[in-house]
Amino acid sequence: MSEFKTYKPGRKWFKTIVCKVVMVILGRAFQVFSKHDHEILREVSAWPEGFILELNVLPLGPKLLLSKEDGKIKAVGKIEKKPDLSVNFKNIESAFLILTPLMGVPQGFAEHRFIVIGDVAKAMAFTRCLNRILAYLYPDFLCKNLMRRIPEISFQKRMAKRLYFYTIGLVTGL
Amino acid sequence: MLPSYYEFYNPVKIISGAKALDNIPYELELLNAKRPLVVTDKGVENAGLIKIFINAFKNSDMEIGAIYSDVPPDSSNSVVKDIARVYREKNCDSLIAVGGGSPIDTAKGVNILVTENSNDLMEFEGADRLKKPLKPFIVVPTTAGTGSEATLVAVIYNEEKNVKMEFISGYLLPNAAVIDPKMTETMPPKITAATGMDALTHAVEAYTCLQKNPISDAYAFSAIKIISQNILDAVKNGKDQKARLNMANAATMAGIAFSNSMVGGVHALGHSAGAVAKVPHGVAMSVFLPYGLEYNIEKIKDSLSDLLMALSGPEVFADTPKDKRALKFIEDLRVLQKKLYDEAGLPMTLKEAGVTEDMLGTIASKAINDGALMMNPEEMSHDDAMKILKKAF
Repeated sequence: MSEFKTYKPGRKWFKTIVCKVVMVILGRAFQVFSKHDHEILREVSAWPEGFILELNVLPLGPKLLLSKEDGKIKAVGKIEKKPDLSVNFKNIESAFLILTPLMGVPQGFAEHRFIVIGDVAKAMAFTRCLNRILAYLYPDFLCKNLMRRIPEISFQKRMAKRLYFYTIGLVTGL
Repeated sequence: MLPSYYEFYNPVKIISGAKALDNIPYELELLNAKRPLVVTDKGVENAGLIKIFINAFKNSDMEIGAIYSDVPPDSSNSVVKDIARVYREKNCDSLIAVGGGSPIDTAKGVNILVTENSNDLMEFEGADRLKKPLKPFIVVPTTAGTGSEATLVAVIYNEEKNVKMEFISGYLLPNAAVIDPKMTETMPPKITAATGMDALTHAVEAYTCLQKNPISDAYAFSAIKIISQNILDAVKNGKDQKARLNMANAATMAGIAFSNSMVGGVHALGHSAGAVAKVPHGVAMSVFLPYGLEYNIEKIKDSLSDLLMALSGPEVFADTPKDKRALKFIEDLRVLQKKLYDEAGLPMTLKEAGVTEDMLGTIASKAINDGALMMNPEEMSHDDAMKILKKAF
């Protein structure tokens, strides 16, 4: 027997679970706000029916799959075809930073935290949608560290939609 | 100041100077290659540059497998496939691109197909899809602008799907970039001015946009200094080999810089003006650069202040109060623009570049979906892009 031991490094379970939970919330938020926010609806309307967007942590996941069905975005469990747009985080630490959200998408991109595979124009549209979703989910003091400019949405509208999402949307997906 | 995290990669051997071309056979030997396929375009061939290139192979034991000189101005999928066929038919073992952005990007695409033994570029589209080193690849730039000889990106048009495919991989970088002043001296003044402003924009955006890092900053700063000191000489006297060599080196340095710290809004607007109104890339860069910098000014004041030293020299830098340096940079950039307009007729406005007012909306819509915008320091909406376009018009 060799004197050198083989190491199997295992997994970072805590961060993996946190990323999975945030992905579920984000998927639900995209599903809900693509029905309730006209700007997101407008961006999504340019995507073809059946469009699949994947948010994935390399190499073992977790992953989030979003599909455009009947003009709306829906979080789905499994898909048969290759995603049209993939955002692949290079490792769980990078995913954790961006999803928790300790780091914004532009900063994450500048730091090579993820790679994009697919149509860049749609990735840009996705980023604009994400900015609006984050503006609904989080208060200003968090948002200003995540994006270059907080989308112009009235305070009342943001509060109303935030309240709706955390009380009804998150649970029902409606 | 150091960013919290950065990456930098540039393994390209730079071979620069008079008669640098004559070293290509030796470099191929080092790469264990003997039969290169040359990828170029008609402009390069008609300018007599291929004759000079072939001359550099005399007294070597190499054979040039084939010279493919039908590359169109925009690299395309079908041309890449056709060149890969020629490569296989002629039993070539390496690639040499001689030209500007199009032959270089085309050769990068060919290298993917011949290495992976594939006929479908789509399989490799996107970032980091290549998993092994490609065939030996040397680039001889003939325009001092694109910097493609030092970038890990290739953009190739897919005619069947009507989309531009982007390939990003460290493996796309050539083994060597051969910078010989002979290869740029036939460029007419207007193209010299436009490609020089393209290189300047690469360097300025690399230095001021979100992905900046200290190593790419060093390349960008030096590139700006060299360009500002040589661009007018190269425009006024194309035969000035010193100015030509300096400009070609600066373009490569700017290429290294922006390959490691992406460009931003000026490029987003420029790509879109190119797509909608066929504005040549260098011309678009020249027109948009001051407006893009003005738009970002609040976020890039410190970086732009540093660059005044590179653009205008230490005396101007020292004579300008600290809080005025960023604006002075833009002011001096406009002075340079005006000189290039007077000397070479380089357009200063979109109107002069052939854009009509009804195109502005489409350009803005395209620009906000351009990937380069991701690294722009300031967010840019459709309305913001329209405001910049109207000013530049």
